[in-house]
Amino acid sequence: MTLPYTLAELMAVHAGRQIKDGEVAFIGTGLPMLGAMLAKRLHAPHAVMIYESGVIDARPKRTPISIGDACLVPDSAMLGGLVEAIGFLLQAGHVDLGFIGAAQIDIHGNINTSVIGEYHHPQVRLPGSGGANDIGSLAQRIVIMLAQDKRKFVEKLDYLTTPGYLWGKGARQEVGLPRGGPAKVITNLGIYGFDENLEMYLESYHPGITIEKIKENVSWDIKISPQVQETEPPTPEELRLLREEFDPQGIFLGGRE
Amino acid sequence: MNRIRKVSSKIISEQEAVETFVKDGTRLRSGGIAVRKPFALLNEVVRQRKKDITLLLSGFTEDGDILVGAGVVNKLEGSYFGLEALGLAHNYRRAYEQGIPQKILIEEYSNFGMTMRFMAAAMGLPFMPTKTHLGSDLVKYNVLREKKAHVLEDPFTGEKVMLLPACHADVALVHAQRCDADGNLQVWGQIGDDEWGCRAAKVVVAEVEEVVDESIIRRDPNRTILPGFMVDAIVIAPFGSHPYQCQGYYDLDLEFRKMYASMTKTREGFLQYLEDWIYGVDSHQEYLKKLGSERLERLKAKPYFSEPVNYGY
Repeated sequence: MTLPYTLAELMAVHAGRQIKDGEVAFIGTGLPMLGAMLAKRLHAPHAVMIYESGVIDARPKRTPISIGDACLVPDSAMLGGLVEAIGFLLQAGHVDLGFIGAAQIDIHGNINTSVIGEYHHPQVRLPGSGGANDIGSLAQRIVIMLAQDKRKFVEKLDYLTTPGYLWGKGARQEVGLPRGGPAKVITNLGIYGFDENLEMYLESYHPGITIEKIKENVSWDIKISPQVQETEPPTPEELRLLREEFDPQGIFLGGRE
Repeated sequence: MNRIRKVSSKIISEQEAVETFVKDGTRLRSGGIAVRKPFALLNEVVRQRKKDITLLLSGFTEDGDILVGAGVVNKLEGSYFGLEALGLAHNYRRAYEQGIPQKILIEEYSNFGMTMRFMAAAMGLPFMPTKTHLGSDLVKYNVLREKKAHVLEDPFTGEKVMLLPACHADVALVHAQRCDADGNLQVWGQIGDDEWGCRAAKVVVAEVEEVVDESIIRRDPNRTILPGFMVDAIVIAPFGSHPYQCQGYYDLDLEFRKMYASMTKTREGFLQYLEDWIYGVDSHQEYLKKLGSERLERLKAKPYFSEPVNYGY
């Protein structure tokens, strides 16, 4: 089946829809940047976008390519550095949601972005925390985004870079984390939430993707919501904005078939 | 501490600055998280084939990757080692995974963790408390330090906090928009961890787009991140953070960054990059010549001025 949009576009759209109007959102590199641009233009004009290198309430005229992009600076409300963005806003609890990528994720939404394999002699050395540990530790809730396959949805992480719900109920409090935890996981196959045991379950599968396929790409027996449904497709306006205004060069969305 | 230097001018060439201040084994803090990276100085560090440098920063991208690939750096303390939207950092991977050109050791923290470590050093404190790192493997593996973090129960409330040790640097490199001849250093746009990273170092070497008259700096002192008496050397390096941006001066050179990401996929490609852009050019001036005036003109920032403010009383 050929869809009139790509799964990367669908992910960017659903990243944007996680941001509610009036919320304070901490935006990371990649698809969340496109989501933030969509949110600000369409359904969350009063959302406050924070970028890690120190931009507070950004109103960029083009999509930033990194968290430090100079295009974030003109017309922002306040500039500082990491101390302001993370220390003053995140750590003190002023940030409603943040976005994080992942190379591996487990049933409790814990994240690995550091190594694949043994820590000192890994098969693949990945970038590491960056701001992810800070965002995952300190935002009121986080949204995790990754391309899904069985090797990424693992029973045991090779390395725990950023805490999700750790081992489950009460764990974050026990280690001293002040709040937070994952709210959603958005992949190229589906969207996931967390139940009362703080375990991941499937909320929706993307158009063209079956539940069977989802199960094949999770290495534990993933729970399926009784209300599971097909993921809502992007609107024509969302697609137009992504293609014509926010990523015309396909930097984040890649080549389109 | 006597801060009066026995030199007639702090303004020196990048060759002299690196020769004088960056030694083999230096704990070197380099600047800029995704913006204003001091490439004019870093390229010179590579050109002078320094060794056994410990590199300190929150977010390493091409800067750290070049120094690792060139065999200049064998230890790093930081939090991120990649090329952002352009993918993984290949030299860094080859060094860590295969020991090419040499094995590197990394002490990992988060971005905020590194900033707090610089802040502790800058303020003369042994550590800073944070509410990050708790429950993660960031504190499980220590590589360079005997102890890299400590969980403390707050003596007042019993709440758990993470203590991270001060990160001192011998030398900090930074790219700034401007300073005066004394080195009073001004930056605008995003600050990243530059303020605290520089303040954590014994010596600061600043590369700047331009040196301006003292009155320009002193009429707008809110923009100063370091007073001149803490800046030891000034290198005039227009476009010094190419291919990265410098607010008000130039945009990023995405084509160049893509070229780097693609060339460095192989060791041979990286050696070619070194030859083309660092060893094969004698100075930052030569590097700019190689880029060509047309390309630089295209990258120049469009004007977007703020209103002057009244500092009167």
